[in-house]
Amino acid sequence: MTLDQAAKRVGVVPATLRRWVRQGVIPHYEGAWTPEAIGHARVVARMRDRGHSLQSIREATEQGRLASGFLEALFPSDVSRYTLKDAAREAGLEPGLALRLVTGLGVSPEQATTVSEDDVQLLRYVAAVLASGFPLDAVLQLTRVYGQAMARVADAEVRLFHLYVHEPLMRSGSSGTEIAEQMHALSREVLPLAAPVLDQVHQRYLQHFIEQDVVGHMESDLDESAIDLGRMRVAIAFADLAGYTRLTEEEGELTAVDAVERFVEAVEITLPEQARVIKTIGDEVMIVGSDPATLTAWAVGFQRLQSGRPLPRIGIHYGVALYRDGDYFGRAVNIASRVAARSAGGEVLVTRSVVAYADSHLEFERIAEVKLKGFKESTEIFIARQRVPE
Amino acid sequence: MTDFQSEQEFREVMDRTFSLMSEDPEIGPELRDADTPQRFEFTDLDLVVNIRAGGPDEENLVWEWSDDVDWEPKVKMAMSSQTANRYFQGKENVAIAIARRRIKAGGDVKAALAIIPITKPLFAHYRKMIAADYPHLEV
Repeated sequence: MTLDQAAKRVGVVPATLRRWVRQGVIPHYEGAWTPEAIGHARVVARMRDRGHSLQSIREATEQGRLASGFLEALFPSDVSRYTLKDAAREAGLEPGLALRLVTGLGVSPEQATTVSEDDVQLLRYVAAVLASGFPLDAVLQLTRVYGQAMARVADAEVRLFHLYVHEPLMRSGSSGTEIAEQMHALSREVLPLAAPVLDQVHQRYLQHFIEQDVVGHMESDLDESAIDLGRMRVAIAFADLAGYTRLTEEEGELTAVDAVERFVEAVEITLPEQARVIKTIGDEVMIVGSDPATLTAWAVGFQRLQSGRPLPRIGIHYGVALYRDGDYFGRAVNIASRVAARSAGGEVLVTRSVVAYADSHLEFERIAEVKLKGFKESTEIFIARQRVPE
Repeated sequence: MTDFQSEQEFREVMDRTFSLMSEDPEIGPELRDADTPQRFEFTDLDLVVNIRAGGPDEENLVWEWSDDVDWEPKVKMAMSSQTANRYFQGKENVAIAIARRRIKAGGDVKAALAIIPITKPLFAHYRKMIAADYPHLEV
């Protein structure tokens, strides 16, 4: 690649690139603009934009702190740029819709004025999905879910690579160039494996949720047709660790995080097939299932599997929630969350809507009728337990 | 309702199951490392088996169909032979079975929780064995 082409890729004028080489901030430049040298130059350009001096960039390079910049060379270099309008025309979409789609799939609104050939291909795929008759609202939600899920995957990949590969290499005393070379070699081997792994995991989950959907249709009440489109009747549980803040203060962050990890893992390995973890926020887990009786039985059994502090506390409600972007929203979700906040360690609290579908192996004691925070009407709360054998 | 044809058949199936666990190149060493002695009581057959991790010169798992053993169980589980059969076929959720009193758990229940993910890969082997040699036990 010529100096002019390299400068265009980096987004600076050729004279700037020449100066950076002279001042030793592009260590892999040996008379030719290789993908590694360009990748590092792009990192230098970003650091300069953020106000770092060439001296501090050179020092960081020598210490290997910028070594991950070389990894940019592993990605396809797509220099052909389309304006979003042209890209939309290529894919047969309205420009406004194309913008919503590419931003949902991870292109920031600022960057979306021009997109790559790969992005155009992405838009063609989405256009084909729309042409097949899949509703626009569902497509938009799905693209946002893909974008968020992939962002989480990529963020974890980079952070874990940093923590378990880059940091140890920096601490080993290796030179900046050695660190870059080792990271480049490892990444070149590992990165191509991510796509087939993700594909296989996606296929497996798809199969699982299709089965669950079939079961759900079979077992749904006849009155479900009365529920608005985009909403569904689900059992919602919130679970967290009672006394987590105190545990963090008394035992330290690492002990508290260990406790949370064990708790979330325990939830995931014990959940029945009809339920799944929707999200975790700190020590709190949100679970959604199709069957309130099964989810409540799980919660009671889960509590029986606990010993020692911190004990989980669980709240469950059964109601209609709005399904949007892979998550659940609305009044029913808020009620479940508020009920969980009322429970103590080791308890399972539920609302009357759950009791109505009760499992005969459980018993429910009405403990209060309270105005939950943010609600005008009062809610009956019951404690769920194993039924005592007669 | 699927039933074992006899106490002898149940013991035969469980012995083969424990051997599968012990000899599996992944499950066996993991259970040995977990080092969690367990006592299982099969209430309908009045049978008890105690299992522990093997010592240096032993297989990964060692089990005795008796309470007359020289080790203390860390985890105690009681269930019917039917529930055990359903569990090993991946058809019995432990937490729900406990809530519905199909499984009674005692001792260090958190240690029991840690063993669940280790034994999950066994289910496919168990189902294969049942399909091949004990089809009347398929659920």
